[in-house]
Amino acid sequence: MSEFVIEMLNITKKFPGIIANDDVTLQLKKGEIHALLGENGAGKSTLMSVLFGLYKPEGGVIKKDGQVVQINDPNDANRLNIGMVHQHFKLVEVFTVLDNIILGAEETKHGFLQKKEARAKVMQLSEKYGLQVDPDALIEEIGVGMQQRVEILKMLFRENDILIFDEPTAVLTPQEISELMQIMRNFAQEGKSILFITHKLNEIMAVADRVTVLRKGKGIGTVNVADTTVDELAEMMVGRKINFTLDKAPATPGDPALTVQNLVVGDKHHAKKKVNNVSFTVHKGEIVGIAGIDGNGQSDLVYALTGLMKPESGAIYIGDHDITHMDVRGRNDLGLAHIPEDRHKYGLVLDYTLAENLILKNYYTPSFQHAGFLRFDEMYRYCDDLSKRFDIRSSQGSATIVRSMSGGNQQKAIVARELSLQPDVIIAMQPTRGLDVGAIEYIHKQILAARDDQKAVLLVSLELDEVMSVSDRILVMFEGEIVAEIDAKSATAQELGLYMSGANRQSRMEVEQQ
Amino acid sequence: MKHKYHKGLINGMASLISIVMGLVFGFALLLIFNPRYALPGFGNLMSAGFTSSEKLAKVFYQSAPLLMTGLSVAFAFKTGLFNIGATGQYTLGAFFSLVAVVQFRLPWWAGILLAMVGGAVMGFIPGVCKALFNVNEVITSIMFNWISLFVVNLSINNMPLLLANAWGAINKDRTAALTSPKFVAYNPNATIPKAGLDQLLGSNYMNIAVFIAILIALIIWLVMNRTTFGYELKACGYNRFASDYAGINAKRNIILSMTIAGALAGIGGGLYYLSGTAQYTIVKSLLAMGFNGIPVALLASSNPLGTIFSALFISFIQVGGDLLQPEYSREIIDIIISVIIYLSAFALLMRGWISKLLMRNQTENVNEELDDSSASDDAAESEESAK
Amino acid sequence: MTSNVIADILSGTILFAVPLMLVALGGMFSERSGIINIALEGIMVIGALFGCLFLSVVEASGIGAAYSQLWVLGAVLIAAVTGAVFSLLLAFASIQLKADQTIGGTALNMMAPAIAIVLTWVIQGQGQSTILIPSWVRITQANFGITAGNGFLERFIFKSLFLTTPLAFILLIVAIVALYKTRLGLRLRSCGEHPQAADSVGINVYKMRYLGVSISGFLGGIGGFAFTVAAGSGFQSSVAGYGFLALAVMIFGNWKPLNILGASLFFALFKVIGSYAGSIPFLPQFEGIKSAEYIYLMLPYIVTMIVLILTSKKSRAPKAEGIPYDKGGR
Repeated sequence: MSEFVIEMLNITKKFPGIIANDDVTLQLKKGEIHALLGENGAGKSTLMSVLFGLYKPEGGVIKKDGQVVQINDPNDANRLNIGMVHQHFKLVEVFTVLDNIILGAEETKHGFLQKKEARAKVMQLSEKYGLQVDPDALIEEIGVGMQQRVEILKMLFRENDILIFDEPTAVLTPQEISELMQIMRNFAQEGKSILFITHKLNEIMAVADRVTVLRKGKGIGTVNVADTTVDELAEMMVGRKINFTLDKAPATPGDPALTVQNLVVGDKHHAKKKVNNVSFTVHKGEIVGIAGIDGNGQSDLVYALTGLMKPESGAIYIGDHDITHMDVRGRNDLGLAHIPEDRHKYGLVLDYTLAENLILKNYYTPSFQHAGFLRFDEMYRYCDDLSKRFDIRSSQGSATIVRSMSGGNQQKAIVARELSLQPDVIIAMQPTRGLDVGAIEYIHKQILAARDDQKAVLLVSLELDEVMSVSDRILVMFEGEIVAEIDAKSATAQELGLYMSGANRQSRMEVEQQ
Repeated sequence: MKHKYHKGLINGMASLISIVMGLVFGFALLLIFNPRYALPGFGNLMSAGFTSSEKLAKVFYQSAPLLMTGLSVAFAFKTGLFNIGATGQYTLGAFFSLVAVVQFRLPWWAGILLAMVGGAVMGFIPGVCKALFNVNEVITSIMFNWISLFVVNLSINNMPLLLANAWGAINKDRTAALTSPKFVAYNPNATIPKAGLDQLLGSNYMNIAVFIAILIALIIWLVMNRTTFGYELKACGYNRFASDYAGINAKRNIILSMTIAGALAGIGGGLYYLSGTAQYTIVKSLLAMGFNGIPVALLASSNPLGTIFSALFISFIQVGGDLLQPEYSREIIDIIISVIIYLSAFALLMRGWISKLLMRNQTENVNEELDDSSASDDAAESEESAK
Repeated sequence: MTSNVIADILSGTILFAVPLMLVALGGMFSERSGIINIALEGIMVIGALFGCLFLSVVEASGIGAAYSQLWVLGAVLIAAVTGAVFSLLLAFASIQLKADQTIGGTALNMMAPAIAIVLTWVIQGQGQSTILIPSWVRITQANFGITAGNGFLERFIFKSLFLTTPLAFILLIVAIVALYKTRLGLRLRSCGEHPQAADSVGINVYKMRYLGVSISGFLGGIGGFAFTVAAGSGFQSSVAGYGFLALAVMIFGNWKPLNILGASLFFALFKVIGSYAGSIPFLPQFEGIKSAEYIYLMLPYIVTMIVLILTSKKSRAPKAEGIPYDKGGR
């Protein structure tokens, strides 16, 4: 009887042009919480997708309880009692919670759905493990916290006892993260075995028994959490010592650059406002960070500020200009730059070339067109220049179709484009999402440089660490309102977490005084 | 620009492959239905257009309106819209051109301009419905295809001057023959000039229409690929959200795109019915020329320059198809064309393989990717963006 | 306006709503599984072609009049199966080759009438492009052993009764139950909304989409046959754009079966009113205008447009439709 409930031995998984997993070995003991650590792009998700049957490896073998097994699709994985909570939830928005849980494992009689039994079972599980859900609510109506609970219940409904969690804490408040960790510990005590993918070192230290580190597709090693430190893990993860604190000169804020007054953004479907009476100011030469859980109005705030959404009431100023009802181009011409949260949806035209994307905001200026005709030589010169300055790598230079570029380079292109417009105000939302440490450091440096150049930066991020390390001042958004304002130097994650989850709020006076 | 060159070449090769495969299939069909005449039939099919200058003239004659409707569909495709309403635009364009030369006695070029207006109107409406009311442009276009047909039929029936029997013919189910002596006396400038080409090719069918169409195709290509306007339109077509983000007025562009697409199809109607060798017949079914623009555009991968060749090709084998009778039904040509279109789906796959082959050859770039990779997160991202 | 006219209008409405509804339901199944099916027009033609060919074979062998409706049922089945097989071409191109679904659909729409004409000539002889429908296809009072009377109800039911009409309503109920109450229906819908989610719970998205397209072929084939039978002048290798109209009805009906029923009836009503305009006293007669029938011919299209403009803000297509599913995800 093997001491390992799951063994992944010498797994190799290739995609065109890339080796995502290169001879990786991972062994999971029964009843343990085993973390899989690596930065974005290291191959963690791929490895787990192999275990879950979503991908077939080119090499290597998987064993359960010492026996070799073939996992060709999620059904096979399910039969082996392996379940997975995905990073990007795989839930059908227009289905109810109950339908999502039973999908693929439905109880039927002659092909007809028998939902009564399923419902009873789901509510039983929900009670037992403290995972509160409303079985008849539609996924598109519930929050991310409940959506994650639905994903967990999917596994429990199928009686999985090998549970894979892929970056589960990305969408949770610090308090919810603690709750989740307690749930995981309960599972482990019951004898379930847990694989926990993350790039967050402090979470590993808090809850995991052992950790396997991946770097650029290769397994670096497996260590007991008790025997290691955050710094050691970080070094294993990245291959060099990481400097966790940014080299930041103190901020010297100047005149107000972006002023928001009593901004209200309504919601078509609900009476509750998405952005409810928000006011703040960003000065030249400072970075204001907005912390908050996804879905508390940050996206809508940013869209209203950048012109992609119409506010219901309130005012927005760039310098002295009232831009509340100005169109997007007007705001851009006044010096507003926007690094959007979804680079594929808003930031780039994926089927255009790199050069065409880099002039997306200024193709109509005399620099790039003459009498309506594009000036291609200027375009290419600009593209080469930006590529060099911002280290954008592409297979065919300015003629590369952006769709084929890696996420990191795509983001660098967007950052390059926005910062080169010589803006006065930069709004950056999730600027480092999905990037590896190197790219993250680079973009943070660029943002700091802009701030030192007396530009105003509004940084909206769901990564608390990023907000805390980059910003000068931090605002917390909860349910569409600014509930706290804290100097970044003195802020702690706990304090911010309480504000982010609505457990605390500063009085209006406290917020506006700063 | 190296990659762009590759892309055009790959598209062309892919289309060529599906054409060849389609023709082979067609030959097999001929063999099945009537083996004795298969070889000469196929030979006729492939060479008819070249055998005589009259046939060649017919090829040019038919390719002009086909090129215009093909351009119309291709232009709309490039901007992210499916213009299935080309036939309604074509019909209204034809009507406006006839009204111009018959009712108002204007010269042919005014007729073409008015045809453009007519088509534009029929493109404008679906554009507005989509941009402002979020109504799917396919449905609107289909509805207006029929509305257009009925409006035109109704109008012609109530404008006696337009009917053939006002100009010496007996029937009143079609419009006047623009070359009948009575009409020529009334408006000698109604038909599109032949510029001596009819003498050159010995056929009444030949006029400068095809050159007008080719010129327009070149202009469209220029606009799409060299101007800021084309840049904006394509951006809207590829990614509506990014265009909003960039400050491009997506609604205005959708309306403009459909209007221009409609104008192009309308011109097609004018070019055909002002040739003098065609009369608009009042029937209750939609004109095929509008729908035939779709295969023209698809075969050319919506490239305006490519549509010149695909229009000529389809016209060419249609002329060849006429010669298949009486041993075979003419409709075999339509089967062949539809098979070619179907096979162009294979071609898409081939395009993917060919591109990957080219990418693999560039080894230094693969290493660059590895240095900087975000491999599996790209997989997650592409899932995200597919949502 | 006599009760005869009312009966005729009502019966005509149902007659023309049936093919629209059947084909729109078919389109719904396809799109709900994630594949946009523009080829409905072509599928209708193929179904009608083979259904009518079957009928003419039966007629030629003289056994038609006896067990007439059994033969009609056979024709319906043949129409359904041939429609489903034809739709597999679209399925293959869209699912296996991940081709643009517009391309596949357009190709099939061009192919079908051409195939129909060619085959008709080959079978019936050159120049004979119409396949006639035997008279015993229509259900009359005689089938039930009643003598023909002239009451409102009788006229309403028997003016143009074909087996396809009650069949269509049965299929509607089957469709509703299948879509919402069965495991297959749940899985099919998930593939059109979030194929990655379906895949991750072990559902074979490709298989589901093949099923969705095949069902659209099945229903579309029957719809084509129903159309030809209703139109009355035999099969002439065309369904006059009904396939595209059905697409409009499907969108109009927001991809839901009951709404599709309503939308079909709505459209058919306006179509039929046009033909009876002369007998409806309160409708304008347009005395001075020649061929005024065109005005009424336009009516259903204009009315549909107005309704679409007013309701499209809430339109909600299956989220993942039109996007080819790639398991590899790269």
